[in-house]
Amino acid sequence: MAPILAVRRLTKRFAGLVAVSAVNFELHDREILGLIGPNGAGKTTLINMISGTSSVSEGDISFNGRDVTHLPAYRRARMGIGRTFQIMHPFPGLSVLDNVAVGALFGRDDSDRNLARARALSREKLDFVGLAHRAEQRAESLGGPDRKRLELAKALSMRPRLLLLDEVMAGLNLVEIEEVIAVIKKVRDGGISILVIEHVMKAIRSLSDRLLVLHHGEKIADGAPQKVLDDPQVIDAYLGRKRA
Amino acid sequence: MRRSILLGVVGIALIVLATAPWFASASLIQFGISTLLLATLAQSWNIIGGYAGYASFGNSVFYGLGSYGTAIAMVQWHLPFGVGLALGAALAVIFAVMIGVPVLRLRGHYFAICTLALAEVMIAIVSNLDVAGGNTGLVLPLLRGDALFYELSLGLLVVTTLVVLWIAHSRFGFGLMAIRENEQAAAVMGVDTTLYKVLAFALSGVFAAIAGGIHAYWITFLDPVSAFDIGLNVKMIIMSVFGGPGSILGPVVGAFLLSGVSELLSTEISTLAALFFGVVIVVAVVFMPRGLADVGRRFRQLGWRYFAENVRTHRV
Amino acid sequence: MSLLWQVLLNGVLLGGLYALMALGLALVWGVLNIVNLAHGAFIMLGAYVCYYAFTGLSIDPFAALPLAMLVLFAFGYLLQRYLLNLVIRAPMFNTLLITFGIDVILTYLAQIAFSADFRTINPSYAGDNFALWGATVPLVRLLAFAIALALTLAMWLFLSRTRLGRAIRATAQNLIAARLYGVEPRNTYALTFGLGAALAGVAGGLYGVVSQVNPYIGTSLTAKSFAIAVIGGLDSPLGVIVGGLFLGIVESLTSLYLGPTYADVASFGILVLVLIVRPTGILGRTA
Repeated sequence: MAPILAVRRLTKRFAGLVAVSAVNFELHDREILGLIGPNGAGKTTLINMISGTSSVSEGDISFNGRDVTHLPAYRRARMGIGRTFQIMHPFPGLSVLDNVAVGALFGRDDSDRNLARARALSREKLDFVGLAHRAEQRAESLGGPDRKRLELAKALSMRPRLLLLDEVMAGLNLVEIEEVIAVIKKVRDGGISILVIEHVMKAIRSLSDRLLVLHHGEKIADGAPQKVLDDPQVIDAYLGRKRA
Repeated sequence: MRRSILLGVVGIALIVLATAPWFASASLIQFGISTLLLATLAQSWNIIGGYAGYASFGNSVFYGLGSYGTAIAMVQWHLPFGVGLALGAALAVIFAVMIGVPVLRLRGHYFAICTLALAEVMIAIVSNLDVAGGNTGLVLPLLRGDALFYELSLGLLVVTTLVVLWIAHSRFGFGLMAIRENEQAAAVMGVDTTLYKVLAFALSGVFAAIAGGIHAYWITFLDPVSAFDIGLNVKMIIMSVFGGPGSILGPVVGAFLLSGVSELLSTEISTLAALFFGVVIVVAVVFMPRGLADVGRRFRQLGWRYFAENVRTHRV
Repeated sequence: MSLLWQVLLNGVLLGGLYALMALGLALVWGVLNIVNLAHGAFIMLGAYVCYYAFTGLSIDPFAALPLAMLVLFAFGYLLQRYLLNLVIRAPMFNTLLITFGIDVILTYLAQIAFSADFRTINPSYAGDNFALWGATVPLVRLLAFAIALALTLAMWLFLSRTRLGRAIRATAQNLIAARLYGVEPRNTYALTFGLGAALAGVAGGLYGVVSQVNPYIGTSLTAKSFAIAVIGGLDSPLGVIVGGLFLGIVESLTSLYLGPTYADVASFGILVLVLIVRPTGILGRTA
């Protein structure tokens, strides 16, 4: 089967600095691909290019067989690419329910334009992530872990085919991490392919079908989790030993 | 329960306002026309400033375009008033689309400054157009009957408010509010932000333009400085902000209240009225930055602490 | 040809003064992230201080400049300390609005206090000129230009070389860290805003000598200061000088070829164009 997402020679330059350099990879249907690498490796930049938040310097991205490299972010959202942000991006003055309803109303091309039904769908998503009891609260009043749940619910309400998760587990305790892993697996079982950026090693290892490692913007490993984590290059990258 | 009371109050107010020409004095009717037009301006600003969150400091341009569109149509081409209004509205839409696309890419305060500068530029441009009568302006045909203008203005305000009501409950309005709250997140969730911003800008322009057209015909005279009156921006923004940007009735209430008080003060010294607006903005921004509508919503929970809370969260 | 040279020279001299005007605005914007819509009103007030010092106390207007600086500094400090500090952590729009309101209040108070008549400050040497390569240079304009440039340089040195200047910039960049170092933000903010107001005050005094003043000049001066700040960027006084000279020359040329009523249009028009084309300015970043 053709991959859901294919990224070829993807490169991003910022005024002299190369943040992402000629990265190639594929993501298959219902696969969970973990994206790891030391800080500053370019992971978020890579996701930004896939979601359309950042422009592409070189290379191309194809989603479901279509070239989306230069499509604006909202078009990609309508095609089925959803994402969460590491620095969370709620709509602060809107209620938690309405935050999610935006995704329901605008997410996919065939999304429902009816406000009432969009809100009903949003309630389901809030239930799914465990935020239903806060539906009427203003989004800005939520605490850290709840904000992460909201980010996820917002992305899910778009009914994406591809979900890009950017560090959803940072700052969570062990119990909460287990919950998030379970939720992500449930999302995948519902038919969504997922690309996850994460720093919590134990979590990413048990969650991912495959791991992709970035270092200084380049891909240095791609494969089964245990193999990748045992790879000396990857260990070097994290421990910072200079390669000869 | 509360909603039906509100509807009742609005209904009664509408009836009183609509029948006013029969029992109010001539000067009160004139005051009424000015206030109704100002309220329309505040409400139209609400669409781009309150719902979309793009604070335009130059919506006076649309008002001026509407005034001149109507005047030129009637004076130079001898077309009827209705056509004149339509021309003014069309000019507003064209301006909103052509200028809106580049200018709406600017963030918050840059957008504000840019629209302010645009407002000034338009005055100078129009002053040099012969078809617009240059610096001397145009004189429109006289139509007696303030009552007619009054009802027209009231009708316009009602229509504008109904449009805002629709926006508040529609997918379009949802998109605007998402843009206001977090534009980047809105884009990534599928909102075509450029299209929606331009639409909101054009919509706010249309109603401001029609208000300008009615005003021009009513006072029968316009020149560039008064048609594109920069001071209108002050008024429409603070009326909307004071009443509650992003609410349905806030700007209307704000306009009526502030107009009323300013009129009372005007009878004393005319500069005092302008001073009054300045003081209102300052006090409102410190203690009730989200307007009366928000005060109404949260006063019940917080009481007088509401005002202190606003200061506490915003001060250093 | 010599007409062109005269016009260019006029533009340069005016531009230096414009740069000083814009400096205060750029400082407050860059450091405090406050876009002060009342900036032009501060300039106007500075002009009136010098005017009344001259007509009432017979103090030479250039000698009265420190007085204007002091008065406006105190005013700006108090305004920031006890009013603007209350809204400084609110969304940008709130500070825009509140300074808008302050501008309206100051303008109309000035109207009541000083009347709407145009005033000029006319010291005895106001008519003195001298020749420079075929062009006539009024002494007062040259003096204004020199003072403006000197102050801009002094400001740059202050911000980059002195402890207080660096504290101001540090507070802007990182409030928490600054607090840890014992910097009291309320005070620092007030000092910065006071400094911006003082600069406006001096610029106003100089403006009063080279041009006419009435309560309503504020708006267009604010807009010009914006244009310069946006063109030149907020971080470099050098950028402000370049921006000021650019605007001065453009206005002068526009007056010559299109007529004086177009001078304002030129500045507003340039502002719009620069914002649309390159909001980050030519020489520096914008906040």
